[in-house]
Amino acid sequence: MHSDSSPARRSVVAPDLAAAVEGIQDGMTVALGGFTTSCRPAALVRALVRRGVRNLTVLGGAAAGLDVDLLIGAGCVKRVIAPYVGAEGYCTIGPFFRHAAELGTVEVWECDEGIYYAGLQAAAAQLPFAPWRSGVGTSLPELNPDLRPFRDPVRGELLLAVPALRPDVALLHAARADAYGNVQHAGHSFGDRAAYRAATRTVVQVDRVVSNEQLRHMPEATSLAGVDVVVRVPYGAHPFASPGNYLEDPAEIGAYVVAARAATLDHDYGPFEGWLRDRVFEPVDQPAYLERIGLRQLLALDEEGA
Amino acid sequence: MTERGTLQQAATTDEVIACFVAHELRDGERVAAGANLPVVRCGALLAHLTHGPNMRLFVSMSFTNLLHVPVPEAYPTAMDFRGTRWGEAFVRHDETLSAIPRLADSFVVGALQVDPYGNSNLIGRAGAGERRFAMRGPGALATPTMADHVSRYYIFLTRHTPEVLVERCDFVSCVGWGRPETPGLTREALRLPGGGPRYCITPLGILDFGGSQHHARLASVHPGVDPDEVVAATGFALEMPARVPTTPFPTDDELRTLRTRVDPGGSLRQPQSRPPTARPRPGASRTRVP
Repeated sequence: MHSDSSPARRSVVAPDLAAAVEGIQDGMTVALGGFTTSCRPAALVRALVRRGVRNLTVLGGAAAGLDVDLLIGAGCVKRVIAPYVGAEGYCTIGPFFRHAAELGTVEVWECDEGIYYAGLQAAAAQLPFAPWRSGVGTSLPELNPDLRPFRDPVRGELLLAVPALRPDVALLHAARADAYGNVQHAGHSFGDRAAYRAATRTVVQVDRVVSNEQLRHMPEATSLAGVDVVVRVPYGAHPFASPGNYLEDPAEIGAYVVAARAATLDHDYGPFEGWLRDRVFEPVDQPAYLERIGLRQLLALDEEGA
Repeated sequence: MTERGTLQQAATTDEVIACFVAHELRDGERVAAGANLPVVRCGALLAHLTHGPNMRLFVSMSFTNLLHVPVPEAYPTAMDFRGTRWGEAFVRHDETLSAIPRLADSFVVGALQVDPYGNSNLIGRAGAGERRFAMRGPGALATPTMADHVSRYYIFLTRHTPEVLVERCDFVSCVGWGRPETPGLTREALRLPGGGPRYCITPLGILDFGGSQHHARLASVHPGVDPDEVVAATGFALEMPARVPTTPFPTDDELRTLRTRVDPGGSLRQPQSRPPTARPRPGASRTRVP
């Protein structure tokens, strides 16, 4: 029983997005959760852009979304670790990612999804590297000298040593969490648990903060037990999907792609600067951002469409 | 269009390819039926409904069985969570790449370039001088890990040109059979667990790798395509059989299932899916290409 004399359990709920990304400094390694157009920590990424951090190494997820592309376009990124950056049929390859990879202005740590997870797993296990087979015989070790081929000591087979990938912080999106950092995804959580296991700290934006009692109804659904920061962000994954809650927003994704392509293909930075101002810098909190999207458009992202 | 009208239209090339894909899949297998390649998705669903009641379809990062779903919806992205509404099990993405046999028996890779030995490239095209890339492609995604571990895989091309089917890839993201001049890096020498590329499926025909040292051969041409057309569109010398068979037309039953339960919206009947110029002969052989 709680009494005034017993110590209180500490809440990890941050008051706002700026507070949630407060510890992230220039040059850090940041992992993003989700997969292409789903379950992306989009609001945290916009907060990171507003924070003006530079020279980040970004682990974009086993398939990264256009949020990584935005970080590149906004000048925050030194190195990208991701086997893909894009939005499938909406935008096959992120415009800023492609442009930076072609010009060499951002370093791309070439890998595949298996290699990506092997690096995270090595970090989680506190190992210097993890072995992975796939990539041998391909151009990946030549494009990425960190992937070192070696003969395994047991069967003598050619494998790759994938160095541990340890994020300073993982930024994730989930459906709900309690005040104590117990997180439940609605759905499969993609590779978020791998990022959480590897990262020094984890910050999770959630659609809802719920009571501890509610999570105790189904503790087996708790996907991350004890993250460092929780921040409640309604429609926080927008313009991407939050499984079980809302779909991705093709119109908003499309507007970003048009602006990013103008910058990278036509060297016309006006539309992207306008987009950044309107969607990132001026709306400093989530309600201001959502007002610019509009109620009608947000409500149309319902599972059955509107 | 009425159902009768729909069914009377001759099969398009995309429908022929979807049926080819369906014939490749066996009951009980684990099969990806994602959004990225509509022809492959439709082929997987067709196999499920015609001869694969015990298949596990991988849809939106979940396994599902769609036998009793009248018309499974097609979603704009592979991870659209609406696809999980029939899910029997979620797939933990980070775990499953370490256990590919629990994920898939076969796999389909796209490619910017393919060489005569089935080695393929999704990374990009090489640049000149200091520039690594003239064009950065989509990247490796999960393709090396999948292609190394499944019992067989298929290279799926949406274009068949000499720029795509090349003597040598600028970069290799998926090992096919390796190359004869680097014997230490062939599929056999690397002891990759999977069975390797079985066919390369293109808009013009089907290639296999049954030639000398796993060199590509023309296994079939799609209806209405002349073998010489394929030779001219290929950037390396294809090995040719004495007689090139035609990729089989769908049966009436297959076409009905395809058009009423798999693809009623007609995504495989769009103008870019070139209608074949030849109709099937009555009782034409349904024999699988060698």
